[in-house]
Amino acid sequence: MINGISIDYFILLSAVLFTIGAIGVMARRNSIIIFMCIELMLNAVNILLVAFSTLHQNAEGQVFVFFVMTVAAAEVSVGLAILTMIYRNIKSIDTNLLSNLKD
Amino acid sequence: MAYILLGIVLLPLLGSIINGLLGKKLSKSNVATIASGSIGLSFVLSIIAFIQLQSAENRVINVDYYKWVVSGMLDVPMGFWLDSLSSLYILVITGVGFLIHVYSIGYMHEDDGFSRYFSYLNLFVFFMLMLVLGNSYVTMFVGWEGVGLCSYLLIGFWFKNHAYNDAAKKAFIMNRIGDLGFILGMALLFITYGSLNYADLNKPGAITYTSATTAIALLLFLGATGKSAQIPLYTWLPDAMAGPTPVSALIHAATMVTAGIYMVVRSNAIYSLSETASLVVGIVGGVTALWAAIIATLQFDIKKILAYSTVSQLGLMFLGLGANAYSSSVFHVITHAFFKALLFLGAGSVIHAMGGEQDIRKMGGLSKKIPTTYLTMLIATIAISGIPPFSGFFSKDEILAHVYEYNKGLWALGVIASMLTAFYMFRMLFLTFWGYFRGGSELYKHLHESPSVMTIPLMILAVLSVIGGLLGLPELIGAKNWIGHYLDNVILIKTYLGLSHSIEWMLMGIAVAGAVASIYFAYQLFVINGVLPVEDEAELKWWQKIIYHKFYVDELYDFIIRRPIDFLGKVVDRFFEKMVFNGINDSISSITLFLGEWIRKIHIGNIAYYIMAMTISIIVILSMIK
Amino acid sequence: MTALILILITGVLALSAEIFNLKKVLYPLSILGILVALGLNFVEWHQPFSWKYSDNMVKFDNLALAFSSVLLVTVFLWFLMSKSYFNEETNLVEHTSLVLFSLIGAMLLVAFNNLVTLFLGVEILSIPLYVLAASNKKNILSNEAGFKYLIMGSFASGFLLFGIALMYGLAGSFDLFTITNALSTDKVPNFAYVGIIMILIALAFKVSIAPFHFWTPDVYEGSPVVITALMSTIVKTAVFVAIMKLFLWYFYPAYGHYVEIIAAMILISLVIANFSALRQNNVKRLLAFSSISHAAIMMLLIIADVRNASTVNALLYYTFAYSVASIAAFASIHFVTGGKEETLDTLKGLMYKHPFIGVSLLIALLSMAGIPVTAGFFAKYYVLNALLMSSYKWMIIAAILASILGVVYYLRIALKLFEVDKKQDNGIIALSTREVFLLGLSVLLLIVVGIYPDIIANTFLK
Repeated sequence: MINGISIDYFILLSAVLFTIGAIGVMARRNSIIIFMCIELMLNAVNILLVAFSTLHQNAEGQVFVFFVMTVAAAEVSVGLAILTMIYRNIKSIDTNLLSNLKD
Repeated sequence: MAYILLGIVLLPLLGSIINGLLGKKLSKSNVATIASGSIGLSFVLSIIAFIQLQSAENRVINVDYYKWVVSGMLDVPMGFWLDSLSSLYILVITGVGFLIHVYSIGYMHEDDGFSRYFSYLNLFVFFMLMLVLGNSYVTMFVGWEGVGLCSYLLIGFWFKNHAYNDAAKKAFIMNRIGDLGFILGMALLFITYGSLNYADLNKPGAITYTSATTAIALLLFLGATGKSAQIPLYTWLPDAMAGPTPVSALIHAATMVTAGIYMVVRSNAIYSLSETASLVVGIVGGVTALWAAIIATLQFDIKKILAYSTVSQLGLMFLGLGANAYSSSVFHVITHAFFKALLFLGAGSVIHAMGGEQDIRKMGGLSKKIPTTYLTMLIATIAISGIPPFSGFFSKDEILAHVYEYNKGLWALGVIASMLTAFYMFRMLFLTFWGYFRGGSELYKHLHESPSVMTIPLMILAVLSVIGGLLGLPELIGAKNWIGHYLDNVILIKTYLGLSHSIEWMLMGIAVAGAVASIYFAYQLFVINGVLPVEDEAELKWWQKIIYHKFYVDELYDFIIRRPIDFLGKVVDRFFEKMVFNGINDSISSITLFLGEWIRKIHIGNIAYYIMAMTISIIVILSMIK
Repeated sequence: MTALILILITGVLALSAEIFNLKKVLYPLSILGILVALGLNFVEWHQPFSWKYSDNMVKFDNLALAFSSVLLVTVFLWFLMSKSYFNEETNLVEHTSLVLFSLIGAMLLVAFNNLVTLFLGVEILSIPLYVLAASNKKNILSNEAGFKYLIMGSFASGFLLFGIALMYGLAGSFDLFTITNALSTDKVPNFAYVGIIMILIALAFKVSIAPFHFWTPDVYEGSPVVITALMSTIVKTAVFVAIMKLFLWYFYPAYGHYVEIIAAMILISLVIANFSALRQNNVKRLLAFSSISHAAIMMLLIIADVRNASTVNALLYYTFAYSVASIAAFASIHFVTGGKEETLDTLKGLMYKHPFIGVSLLIALLSMAGIPVTAGFFAKYYVLNALLMSSYKWMIIAAILASILGVVYYLRIALKLFEVDKKQDNGIIALSTREVFLLGLSVLLLIVVGIYPDIIANTFLK
């Protein structure tokens, strides 16, 4: 219980946000928005970590959130760099155009 | 002794490596000297080993070089096991192998891949020696796989021909099916008896009957059917004739195909304990002997006839194994190695003379042109037909006597197969060497006897085919049956009681009379009446067609095995990888046109679909959690 | 641990090479760094290093040392193969340091003792690889490969994180001993099992176990050959150690909750990978499916449920045999195609054009197919041997059937080597001494280890 709210609700909230992110990755075609959706997924996890951190009364979870943020930033910066190259080559960032590799 | 055995095995490997790496730089005569010389030396060492073995305790020499596989209870050394059985096998492998190497020098002389050929052939001998000398089933398996690989390389030796490559692949895959049985059998053997080393398994009382014994025997036998071309895995051997003829003589007649017999004799304690397994071995062997003999009677390709004859003779050996007549089967392996190698080499000489033609319908009257080949092949044909006192008679007769005691029905199969053997072998001989030449005058002028480097091995083998029977003269005529007693210490459980003399004489009489009658029938048909095989398939009667097409077994396998696998492969390839995940593809473009926009809107082939597929999998998996 | 630090220093040096004008010696320097690190691993053997200051987050015990040695050997061979990849002046520094950083991630993954280190290891291993996959900047296929790998990789990372968060929720700590203890109690909330499965899914993605393998064929095909070689070796080795540590040791109290799922995933992988490979014409794609099949076989060790040194030995042997064979195969292909398209036809007649490469490729393929005398045989053998005593004996048959299919498609490549190329337009392939050394060494390793498996398979005492 955190402030009278059961931990289950925190898990539920985070799961819902995570799912919204996952659906976004699946459904959107614009690569930038896909990155945003991945961010959403990672941040949903951050909420969960902070909630558990409060529940267990230790700071490890909150420290881990910083790691997650750093890694997410690294991922996105790499992603944006790749996107720039793609844009230079095909003048688009629509994921549907990126299906040359297939059987 | 350890070094002698090591030398026997490693000399061929050394020859193979030298010829394989430096072959292109060496002259042909150097390549030939290295290849034949290494086998020759190996043969000399084998004789020395054989002589030393006679004075060894229990006639067994076991040498461990180092610990090879140690995992849990499994402790497999790398080492050699020389006993009565393996000593006979190494003599045959290196002896006959040496003659075939010498013969190959003449046969392959014009070929571009001369050094490659000898490198493979030496490698084969190395693996074959590993197979028979290894002191555990694991070492045997290494050799077993190795000879399969070499056989594959040599069948596809003339790789430029696509059909030959297919034949090579077929041989490899058929052998893999058998190997699956071998591996499983080995695993079960280990679980049941706790060891795979001959040293442990040969201790008295190490092998007793348990519920798994029959299963082990049958699984190992599946391996044998692959390697030794028995029903249902025999169809690769006739196709394997695509390789050079000396290869057919060495690998597909004299040595590799008898590995299955070696393995069963090596495991004789297991087979003797399981009546069911013995019966299965006997039935498979008997039916194969008859089945292949029937097919052989209507083939036109001289090498195909010999190939089916090999399948049939191997069937006879397994028939003997089924009756637990192990020493008789080994005896037949040896005599068969002599006369069948001779037949193949003779056929090679004929093909050499005919400029590559293998169809006996185009031959005839060759006896005057190539007399040495004719005479040696005549001897081999008489030997395989079972006419006394040639070698084939004694070994075949001994097997049939044991089988008679074991099961009269199987004995009948064996006798009919032997009669057919006499018939088709003399059919081949008459059509090839007697009568008049049917290949056109152009070719007739071309006919010539092979060089002496090829005919001398033929003559040596001919002598061996005549006197090979001395190894195992029956006790019936007052001799000692040397080989039977020699192998005594290998056969752990003895079941043969012996027949009364009158019955033995009768069996011999029936066998000889049957063979003579078959030969006379062939003589009537092909010499007196001058019947020639029809040129056109349409003239064959329906039952002849079935036999000519080898009972359509290849087609049947194609239908029940290859096609479903192909189909599955296609389904997964097309449906899962292309249609579902990777989308619109040429092969389904007609359907795509049909469904038009609807499928295109699914945007198959992009990241979103991969993610979708993954997400669906995740949902399924999460719902599986207990 | 000193090895890890040394590689880190080498990586940072590589990154700053531009400033110190070290570009010329960068390549030999990296190789030297790797070899010294390998040596340090041997020095540290049996002298476990515990990193007390960081709260037991990494543990460089013998297991970590052995596997990181495999990683170092692999990367050493890889460097020998990839000289041409570092020829471009402009990217030299980035490429070298990214490869070294990726190696650091892999080394963290064999030594983690804490879920935070697991996560960091996975990410440090993967992020450089995303960049490297896309490193052929002008080529849209390479861009696409990097992009696909990145999107799907981050997606999987999301699941890894969610799983880790749930495990933290269970135990209140990221320490794996605490988590094992928490899992051993009577009342384990359901979300903990969800967490374990999510971690499993993310790691299965990294080693490309179906149904999370979709990226594999595409990314392997699109990336430069040398990067494909790196991906197929160090990622598999490192992540499999992680999988083994987690699912055979730390999460073992919940074994019954995930073993069936793993078994199902293995079965699907064997089917999809082997059937799909049958008709492939692109060599890289074919090897991608082959790598999926190998991953499935390695995964069998988890369901074999043998929790002693023999499993570690088996995995060590398998990863070594597979890595060396992969490097040899990819190197041969790299030398032959030289960066152009890698269809099966480019290998036609290799046995006559350049028998040395031909034989090396053949032996590498034989090893992958598991034919005796090569290391691949014992690799498979140890895995199946472990399965013999488990409740998944029937999987042996599936695995053997799969390897029969495997033989068919490896044979397809092998046959191409012997075919005669009608058009003789291909130029002569010249190998440098370094390349001859690489191929010779790999083949020698495969055969020596295949004949004397004990060199590696007895590393850990029973």
